[in-house]
Amino acid sequence: MKQWIIGLAAAASLAALPLAPAQAQSGTLTVGLGAEATVMDPTRSSAGVDQYFFGQMFEQLVRTDPDLKQINWLAESWALSEEGGKPVITVKIRPGVTFHNGDPVTSADFQYGMQRQQDPKLSRFSHLLNAVEAFEVIDNLSFRLRFKEGDGSFITSNLHLWAMPKRHIEKVGEEEYQRAPVGTGPWKFVSRTVKEELRLEAYEGYWNKQNRPAVKNLVIKIIPEDLTRVAAYKTGAIDWIDAVPPAATAEFAKLENTSTFTAVTGNNLFLNFNTHQPNSPFNDVRVRRAAAHAIDMDAIIKRVLFDQGERYAEIGRGTPGYDPDLKPYPYDPRRARALLAEAGHPRGFEVPCYNLTTPREPNIKEMGEAAYAYLSAIGIRCQIRQLEYGAWINLGRRDAPPEMDGIVSWMWSHGLPGDPGTPWLGHLHSYQAGKGLGSYSYTDNPEMDALLRQQQTTMDPVKREALLKQIARIKHDQVLGGLTTYRPMVTIAWRTSKVAFKPWPSPGFWRNFQEIGLK
Amino acid sequence: MLALVLRRLWQGAISILGASVIIFVISRLSGDPVVMLVPPDAPPSLIAEIRTQYGLDQPLVWQYLLFVGHALSGDFGNSYRWQMPALKLILDRLPATIQLAACGLLFSVALAVPIGVLSAVHRGGWIDRIGRIFAMLGQAMPAFWVGLLLILVFAVQLNWLPAFGHGTPAHVVLPAIALGWYPVAAQTRIVRSAMLDVLDSDHIRLSRALGTPERLIVWKYALRNAAVPLLTMLGVYFAAMLGGAFVVETIFAWPGVGRTVVEAVFSRDFPVVQAGVLFTSILFVLSNLLVDLSYGLVDPRIRDVR
Repeated sequence: MKQWIIGLAAAASLAALPLAPAQAQSGTLTVGLGAEATVMDPTRSSAGVDQYFFGQMFEQLVRTDPDLKQINWLAESWALSEEGGKPVITVKIRPGVTFHNGDPVTSADFQYGMQRQQDPKLSRFSHLLNAVEAFEVIDNLSFRLRFKEGDGSFITSNLHLWAMPKRHIEKVGEEEYQRAPVGTGPWKFVSRTVKEELRLEAYEGYWNKQNRPAVKNLVIKIIPEDLTRVAAYKTGAIDWIDAVPPAATAEFAKLENTSTFTAVTGNNLFLNFNTHQPNSPFNDVRVRRAAAHAIDMDAIIKRVLFDQGERYAEIGRGTPGYDPDLKPYPYDPRRARALLAEAGHPRGFEVPCYNLTTPREPNIKEMGEAAYAYLSAIGIRCQIRQLEYGAWINLGRRDAPPEMDGIVSWMWSHGLPGDPGTPWLGHLHSYQAGKGLGSYSYTDNPEMDALLRQQQTTMDPVKREALLKQIARIKHDQVLGGLTTYRPMVTIAWRTSKVAFKPWPSPGFWRNFQEIGLK
Repeated sequence: MLALVLRRLWQGAISILGASVIIFVISRLSGDPVVMLVPPDAPPSLIAEIRTQYGLDQPLVWQYLLFVGHALSGDFGNSYRWQMPALKLILDRLPATIQLAACGLLFSVALAVPIGVLSAVHRGGWIDRIGRIFAMLGQAMPAFWVGLLLILVFAVQLNWLPAFGHGTPAHVVLPAIALGWYPVAAQTRIVRSAMLDVLDSDHIRLSRALGTPERLIVWKYALRNAAVPLLTMLGVYFAAMLGGAFVVETIFAWPGVGRTVVEAVFSRDFPVVQAGVLFTSILFVLSNLLVDLSYGLVDPRIRDVR
């Protein structure tokens, strides 16, 4: 056996975390979220927003800490090795972890969890475990995952598996379990009223005595309208607010007895060009570079997004493959016009520019309009066409008409800190019908395809990091798979006179109440 | 009377069937829901599996027949997003929507009737003008703007009423005002116009000649007659409020059907859209039926004509 990495994540163990003093769990805290999860079972999740709820109740083997470092969580340790040329991950489960019903967590629960995740009738992410060949139970607290081939994003995706209570689900049945889920997390389910609220109670038997809630009851109110959510905070109806509207962040920063926390959301926005149709002007790299120099993204972030955005070049800070030497293209309209003329378009050209208008990202419509206005100013004259989310998805997908024939504002998200590998296979790899590759891609580049497939099967984090950087550099230089624009940021706020809060991502979003309490 | 009820029920059933066809076809014109349920890297096999799971791989006509067949037994299928029965999702929200619509209607009538009556009595005077301007304001200001203003004034500034939510009588006040203000102008016009007609009628002139107090004439004899056209319209207004409360429900985080259905439209959650629209259609038909019947009860001539 070739041992690659032993206890990789142990480098950042729990003991390294700043410890919160153990406090008595009492009282009730009410918080306000803008979006609502639809399902509360991680197996059945179909959208990132679902994590807002199940992330409070369910846990994985590893997770990201408040500094976005991967740390062991339900895994006491784990190791990546190789047997017969195939990767193997061996996991030792943390002893003493129990589900909310008191059942101890064992290897069988992870095996059961994996079987559920692999079932396409239950999971819409079943394909993410396609590379796993076998789950071998070693004993109650350890198991081995054997892979058919390497899965590059398996480790960065927190080893994918969730602790699911096998005995409990088999006893109560799927329907009842969906109504009243049971996990291992710091919060246990009490009740839910759809479109209204989720009530949770701190789990007394929670294994982590250091990083846990210091309040007994948590009420999560769903308040979709931004200004109403702000009003609810100002009137004291809630003491913690999610997604402060960008235009109100400056006001919140000055509010008395209020702390704010601003961080990237895990979403990565870009403008995708059609470099696929033979007559597309974007087939010429000079035109793509012209576009890259044409947009004053800093100004857009400041004026349109109220500073709630962060520029990035291909891969954002903290994400695997991030290269601090790779800088976004500077705003240089003169250079942009020269490049356009050099490419044979001295008078510019007209092009359809598709703009996403979803409420999912604040001011995304206005951001797109501003970016397209900058393009028009140098001669890439945008005929802006607004698209709601469904029409936008349809346009982007390669497996059904219509084909995107110009520029489209697009995005990818892989949680926090995120991993570009899988999303790149979607919009940077060339489209291959029936293989799930390039489903949203308008780029055909064989060199890039080869590198993307290589990173897809490379599990060694060091080698993979190097590959991601290499891809990012080529992508950046050639402006392939779109022009990266910004990473949206979210601001959350809480009443410091009443609430003690430390932001944790779970596993990819900041609406996690791992450490929260009443003062 | 029984024949009238049966005829109306039959016509209502036809209307609902028509609504089911329209909503079934229109929802499917919006595109494929499966692409919105799977991640970008989902392989075609997974997409095909989900399509089969929800019966979306069947011919459209067969899908419709299955939908009608199941719907008749109360099964609208499972929501693609919520993964729970669509009917339960709608029925659980229905009481909140009915409560909001009823309170909104009550608010609008409570405003429209006195304004309409006073405007008619003081025709052309300043009370008439101010009353009608106030009523028109509701129609001129969109509900989302009114809602936000109400929150800013009565929740944030004065702290009299909650800014959002559902559960206590206090919670319904601001959403009911935001929802109910819009139809005030139209209802005021109906009351005013009917009052003007009635006040000019012979029996009112006779009452005056007999020395009946003016207050009694206006608020009892004239209003009772003038209320008939308003009552006729109330069913339509109530149904319109049931279906049109989406904006108000969103602003006040009110857990109603409108919000649920509109969000389902955007996520192409066909079962929820179908269940929501059909139930709103049924309520619409029923409220119109009730109005028709009550109209017939009030005016025997109409019953006989039918």
